[in-house]
Amino acid sequence: MAADTPQNQTSQFPNGGGHTGELIRSFDWSKTPLGPISNWPESLKTVTNMLLQSPVPIVLLWGEDGIMIYNDAYSGFAGSRHPQLLGSKVREGWAEIADFNDNVMRVGLSGRTLAYENQELTLIRHGKPAPVWMNLDYSPVMDESGKPAGVIAIVVETTKQVLAQRQLRESEERFRALTSATSDIIYQFSADWKEMRALDGRGLLSDTERPTINWQETYLLPEDRPAVLAKVEEAIRTKSVFQLEHRVRQADGGLGWMLSRAVPIMDEKGEIVEWFGAATDTTERRQYEEHLRLVVHELNHRVKNNLAMTQAIAAQTFRGDIDLKEAQNRFASRMVALGQANDLLTGERWVGASLGGAIEQAIKPHAPDDGRCTVEGDEDVKLSPKTALALTLAMHELATNALKYGAWSNGEGRVDVRWSTGNDAEGKRRLRIEWRESGGPDVRPPARRGFGSVLIERGLAREMGGTVTMEYLPTGLVCTVEAPENLYAER
Amino acid sequence: MPLRILVVEDEMTIALMIEDMLIQLGHEVVELAMRLPRAEELARQAAFDLALLDVNLDGRKSFPVADVLSARGIPFVFATGYGASGLENGYSHCPVVTKPFMMEDLKTVIDSLPLPRA
Repeated sequence: MAADTPQNQTSQFPNGGGHTGELIRSFDWSKTPLGPISNWPESLKTVTNMLLQSPVPIVLLWGEDGIMIYNDAYSGFAGSRHPQLLGSKVREGWAEIADFNDNVMRVGLSGRTLAYENQELTLIRHGKPAPVWMNLDYSPVMDESGKPAGVIAIVVETTKQVLAQRQLRESEERFRALTSATSDIIYQFSADWKEMRALDGRGLLSDTERPTINWQETYLLPEDRPAVLAKVEEAIRTKSVFQLEHRVRQADGGLGWMLSRAVPIMDEKGEIVEWFGAATDTTERRQYEEHLRLVVHELNHRVKNNLAMTQAIAAQTFRGDIDLKEAQNRFASRMVALGQANDLLTGERWVGASLGGAIEQAIKPHAPDDGRCTVEGDEDVKLSPKTALALTLAMHELATNALKYGAWSNGEGRVDVRWSTGNDAEGKRRLRIEWRESGGPDVRPPARRGFGSVLIERGLAREMGGTVTMEYLPTGLVCTVEAPENLYAER
Repeated sequence: MPLRILVVEDEMTIALMIEDMLIQLGHEVVELAMRLPRAEELARQAAFDLALLDVNLDGRKSFPVADVLSARGIPFVFATGYGASGLENGYSHCPVVTKPFMMEDLKTVIDSLPLPRA
């Protein structure tokens, strides 16, 4: 208790000062340039007492050598160098930054001050060099004669703050890099979505650089607004992610689709501060989906149509007084022809097939050998899918009949198919296809008109919008199709 | 009472089958049109009691033919693989047979039409 009385304050030096104060009192100062503590000048004692009372890290560098006297707060900063640092020369105590402290001593002892903010120094405090940042303030301390005798330094380490700021800056840079790397549209809204604060439209939507309340008019269609706003209200109410795919008015005035997502940014109290969102352009995907829907619809129609064709061919093949075995073979063969015709059309993506290709595909597989069949024409003609299909089926019938009864039924007969284009008497373009058999057995017109004949004479003629003649000449069957050439064009 | 019928169908084999079905049902096929322009021409000029219309004629829809027939007061039936869903707005109330169909289906839809009968 006696230590706290004013009398004892004068008798004991330094007064208090915690752990470091105790060390200073017991330190043998006679081995330092300061000499025994009892001989210290009053100015040195005063500054020492003052710094020991401070909770801020303070160090006093006394004399030309800068003998170090510091407080508890500074001893924490010095790390494992404390307590050896006490009473040492500053250039030796902090050998790794001797140059820096040399400058401090020269400036301070010349009566001037020094100040550094977030000064980076590499210090060895825990066995290895590590960068530290500090706010440093140096002021000269005068002795009794009024001359600078030492330098007092207030040392505030800012390493944590500097690193945190650096992390924040890097995080912001990464965020900026991300937002420029993404092709997404980035936007910000006020907490209640009344105000759009910014939108980077990537050239697709018009940019919003200053906060606006007119964003609905700019980006949304009037009829879509209720649905979008309902989703917004729900997201605000539940403080959860907003997500909606909706139509947008594009910068070029066109109509597009966006998949938009926004997350709420909350404060410490959990209240929404603002919304941050990104939107992906889904216009193209939407168009593909619509296209796919149409394709599926169309495919369904074609399947039904093909079934109806199959039904029709079956009805024609299995009618009247027939040999069932032979009818089954004919039916199977007609199905193959139908299948090949479909290949031809899909190969041409269902937009049309070439006349030469359609004929060759229908008849070449039936020819006994390649030398007994020619297919030639002066220029290729494009056919509509329907016409190509009809022609394929008709040619298939002619080929199977030739194999059974005509030129391909013996060892030497042949079939030559030729087409030509030209002008008729009125100057209109005409197409002529001639199927000519020769070298076959004796020719007899069929006793009964089968599906093949019906298909060619009744069906093909109307399909081609022209005439078809079947002549059973002594040399062989000649089938001639005369039609307008614009088969591919609209009729 | 035999009806005079216009058949509009772009698929050769199906057209032949429909003709056969109608003949077996005791009707007369007065004309067959396989493409839109010919179908429109016949719809305007030919004399018949009823038309059977394929919806897709080599890529073109036959609705203009239906319009001509409506204006003339001639009943018609759509025949399509699209089914009733393939009919555009304004035609969805029209009678339709979905391909493929049976002769009996054709008979049923024809019998349901408001036609002069014996």
